[in-house]
Amino acid sequence: MNTTDIQIALCGSAGDGTIAAGDILRNAVAAMGYRVICFDVYPPEIRGFGKCISRVRITKEQTYALKRQSDLLVSLDDSHAIPHAGEVRTDGAIVYESKPVAHCPEGSHMSGHILPGQIPYGIPLRELAEKATGGARSRNLVVLGVIAGLLGFSPVPFQKIIEKKFAKQGAGVVSRNLAGFQSGYEAGQNTFKLDNVFCVPMESVPAAGKVVMLSGNAAVVQGCMDAELNTFFGYPITPATTIMERLATAMPKRGRRLLQTEDEISAIAATIGAGYTGSRAATATSGPGLALMAEMLGLATMAEIPCVVFVSQRGGPSTGMPTKTEQSDLNAALYGSPGDSQRIVIAPTNVEGCYRCAGKAFEMAEKYQTPVIVLLDLYLSNRYETVTLVASGPPFNLNANKPLRRLEAGEQYHRFAMTEDGVSPRAVPGDAGCMHVVTGLEHNTLGRPNDSDENHTAMSHKRHSKLQGALQHPDFTVTKRIGHSGRVKVGILAWGSTFGECLEAMFMAHAEGISCAAMKVVMLSPFPIDAVTQFMDDCDHVLVPEVNYEGQFAQLLQGLLARPVVRLSRVPGSPMPVELILGEIRRLAGAV
Amino acid sequence: MVAQVSSSASSPHRYVIIGNGVAGNQAAEGLRERDPDGLITIITNSRMLFYNRYLLPQLFRAHQDWRALLAYPPGHYEKHRIRVLRDCWVTAVDSRKRQVMLAHNEAISYDTLLVATGGRPYLPEELVECRHLIHPFGTYEHALAVRKALPENGSVVMLGGDMIGLDLARTLLDLSYRVILVTHENTFWPHQPVGEERSKFLAILQKMGLEVVDGDAMGGVVAIEKGAAGLPERRVRFRQGGDIYGDIVMSFYGLSPLVEFMMKSGTDIERGLLVGTNLRTSDPHIYAAGDVCQIWSEKDNVYRFYYGHRNVRAMGAVAALNMTGGNEHFSTTQDEALFQNEQGHIDSPFWAYD
Repeated sequence: MNTTDIQIALCGSAGDGTIAAGDILRNAVAAMGYRVICFDVYPPEIRGFGKCISRVRITKEQTYALKRQSDLLVSLDDSHAIPHAGEVRTDGAIVYESKPVAHCPEGSHMSGHILPGQIPYGIPLRELAEKATGGARSRNLVVLGVIAGLLGFSPVPFQKIIEKKFAKQGAGVVSRNLAGFQSGYEAGQNTFKLDNVFCVPMESVPAAGKVVMLSGNAAVVQGCMDAELNTFFGYPITPATTIMERLATAMPKRGRRLLQTEDEISAIAATIGAGYTGSRAATATSGPGLALMAEMLGLATMAEIPCVVFVSQRGGPSTGMPTKTEQSDLNAALYGSPGDSQRIVIAPTNVEGCYRCAGKAFEMAEKYQTPVIVLLDLYLSNRYETVTLVASGPPFNLNANKPLRRLEAGEQYHRFAMTEDGVSPRAVPGDAGCMHVVTGLEHNTLGRPNDSDENHTAMSHKRHSKLQGALQHPDFTVTKRIGHSGRVKVGILAWGSTFGECLEAMFMAHAEGISCAAMKVVMLSPFPIDAVTQFMDDCDHVLVPEVNYEGQFAQLLQGLLARPVVRLSRVPGSPMPVELILGEIRRLAGAV
Repeated sequence: MVAQVSSSASSPHRYVIIGNGVAGNQAAEGLRERDPDGLITIITNSRMLFYNRYLLPQLFRAHQDWRALLAYPPGHYEKHRIRVLRDCWVTAVDSRKRQVMLAHNEAISYDTLLVATGGRPYLPEELVECRHLIHPFGTYEHALAVRKALPENGSVVMLGGDMIGLDLARTLLDLSYRVILVTHENTFWPHQPVGEERSKFLAILQKMGLEVVDGDAMGGVVAIEKGAAGLPERRVRFRQGGDIYGDIVMSFYGLSPLVEFMMKSGTDIERGLLVGTNLRTSDPHIYAAGDVCQIWSEKDNVYRFYYGHRNVRAMGAVAALNMTGGNEHFSTTQDEALFQNEQGHIDSPFWAYD
C-alpha cells in the first residue's frame, strides 16, 4: 500500500474513557490533515456495565465507510475487547494492559486471544498512568499516547486537543491528562515495533481548506444554524438527543429559541405552530417519537405548514435497540400518517450530506409548504467525519417562501389558492389583509371546511403535485450515480448511511475488474422515478443493501417500478459489512 | 505411522511449553502428532512467532522483513491448533497446583509442562554496571538495534567471542566492518579449545580479518565508557591499562540458562534444570529441553549441556514423545568439535541448522 489507511478500534467498559479517547484521537488526526471516519458504539447503561467501542479510520484520501477489519485494537477492558480480537487484520496489532492489578482468571487476558498473525503489544497502562498522574483514571490518555507513539504521530495536535477538552476542569486536570498522554507517548515510541505493521510512516497532510470534524448530528446542527433555524422543540431520545443538546447551546447565543417539551406530541405540535407563524422550525426524534408525531404530521400536510423533522433511526420496533443502528423507519417516514399524506423525505448518506440536507430541508419545507423529514440513523448521527467547509458561506436560501402578491382592494386572500405548481402564496399571521382559516379538516382555497368530492380530489392532487417540484429543487442532489458509466453488470441502489459501505464495496469490486456502479437516492419522497429507472436500465442486476429486515427500500422500488431487485437486508445492529456487499456483487457478476 | 495417545474428549490433556525456540516448537509439533486432541500452549516473552535466530546475522547483508525470518507462517499454528501466548512473562511455576504464573496475574494450568526457555547472553559480573553501553545480540530486536547503531564500515568491539558472536563476526567481516575481538576464557564457547589448539583457532580468526586482543593478558575488561568527542562511540578500558575504541561494544560470553522462574518449583536445578536422558525433571509432570537443561551423561558421570540446532531439535522431539507416554532417551548425534573448513576459515557444527 502506498497510502495511509489505518483503522483503530478502542474498546473498553463504560466509564473507562473509551469514547473520550476516541474523540481526542479523531480530532488530533483531523487537525493533522487526515481524512477521518469514526463511529462510536456505546451501551444503553450510563456507566460501569456495557461495552464502548470507538472506531477511527484515518486516511489520506477520501473514504466512505469504516473497514470491517481494524489495523489496531486497543483494549481498555479485556472482557469487552477479547471478542473483537478477531476483527484485527493479519499483521495488525493489539495493545492491551500487561500488568492488570487484579487476578485474571485463566483465559480472561487478551494475550491468550491474539491470533498468530497479529502482533501483541502488552503495555503497563495502569502503571504508566499511576506513575504519571498518581492515579489510574488517565489510562485512556496513556493509551492515546501509546497510539501516537506507536504510529509516529506528532504529540502536539494531541496535546492541543487535550488542553482544549479539559480546560474547563482546571489546570490540574489538564496537566495530569497531559502527563498521562506523555507517559504513554514515550512508552509507544520506545516500544520495539515490528516494522511494516502500519503500512507507511505517518506524516502530516496539508489540508485543502478549513477541515472540521463533525458527527452526523453535529452537521445537522450546523446546517440548522446556517439555515437560520429560529425555533426548535424537542424531547430527548437516543440517538437524536445530541441534536437538541447542541442546539440548546448554539441557538440562545444567536437569540433563537429552543424548548424541551413534555413529549414528542407537544414537540411536533409546537413545531407546526411555529411554522405556521413563519418561523423556521424543527424538531428531532427517533422511531418511537416519530410514531407519536404521526397524527400531527398529517395536520401539517393538510394545513400546508412548513416544518422539519429530523428522525434518527435505531433498532426497532418499539423501544427496540436504542444504541444500535438500523434503517427500519423508512416506511414510517414515508407513510406514517393517516390519509394520503405524502411529505418530503430525504436521507443523507454521509456527514457532509447531513449538513446539506439539514439546511435544504428548511428551503423545501418553505418552498413546498409541507413537512420535511430528514431521515438519519444512529450510524450516521454518531459517525464522525472530516468535512471541508466551503469558504463562500452557507449554501442555503434563507427565505424560500413563494412571494405573496399584493392584494387588490377588496380582494380576498386565498391561502390555498390553486396554482400551476400547486404551491399557494403563503401569508403568516400579521400579514395585512391576509386573515385566513387553517384547519385539519379538508378545506377549500380559503381554508374553510369543504368535504365535497370535487374539492377533496382537487386538494389532494394539489398537495401531492406540488411536491414533484422538489425533484428539481435548486442545488440539491436528489440522486447521484458513481462508478462505471454505461452498461454495468451490477448496479447498487442504496440510501442513507449504507451508501458509504456500498461505495467501498464498489471500489473493491472495480479493483477486481467487476463492472459496477452505485446510485445513492437521497430523495425518497417524492421518488425520483426517472433517474432510478434510467440507472436500473443500465444494470444487469440491481442490488439493494439496507439495514432492515423487511427490505423496505427494495419494496418501495418494486412497488413504484415493478422491477426485480436483489435484496440484501440485514439487521445486525451495526453497519452493513462491506465484505457482505462485495460478496453479493461478486456473486451477481458471476465472479465466484 | 505415528503412535497416538488420545486425550479424553471431555478433558483434553493440557500441554504447556515455556519457550518459543527450536526445542519448544519441535515439541509442539510432536505433541500434536501424538495427541490430536490435546491442548497445546506455547508461552513466550517475544512478540514474534518462532523465528530462525541463525539468520540474524543476515540482517546486516540486506534489509529483511521480519516475516521472512519466521520458521512457520502464522497459519501453521492455527492448522495445528497450537496456542501461542506472546509478550508474556513467566514469573513462577507452581508445581503443586500445576500452574504457570504469568506477570499479568494469570495462571495457566497444565497437566504436563515443558521448559524450553533456552539461555540468555551471559555477562560477567564486572560488566553488569556497563550493560547499558553494550549491545546484546540474541533477538531480532537486538539485531536491528545493532544494525542501526553501527555506521557503514564501522567497528565492533566483540567481548568474549562465543560461537554466536563469531558467527556474526564472519558476516561483519564479509561486509567490510572492523571487528576487534577481546578474548576471554569463554571465547569459542561452547567449544573449549585449550593450549595450542586455542592458539591455532585464534590465528585462524586473525587470518579471517579479526583483530584479536588478548583480554586475559590485559587483565580483563574493567570498564566500558562513552567515547570522547571525535572518537568512536565506545571506549573499552583494561584492568592493566590501555584501551580500545569501537562504534559499538557487543558481549558474547556464552549463554546462561533461563531458570529463575523455576527456583520455587521444587525441581532440581544446578545451572540448568537437571533432567535424565528422558528429559524429565525431578517433577514427573515437568520436562525440559534445549539450552535450559543439563542432561545426565552416563559417559561423563555428570549433568551436562548439549548445544546446537540438531541437539536441541532432537530434545524437543524426545520430550514430546515422553510427555505423551513414550520412553525415549536423548543421545547426541552432533559432532562437537571446532574445525577449520576448506576455505581455511573457522567452522563449527553449532553453526549448522536444518
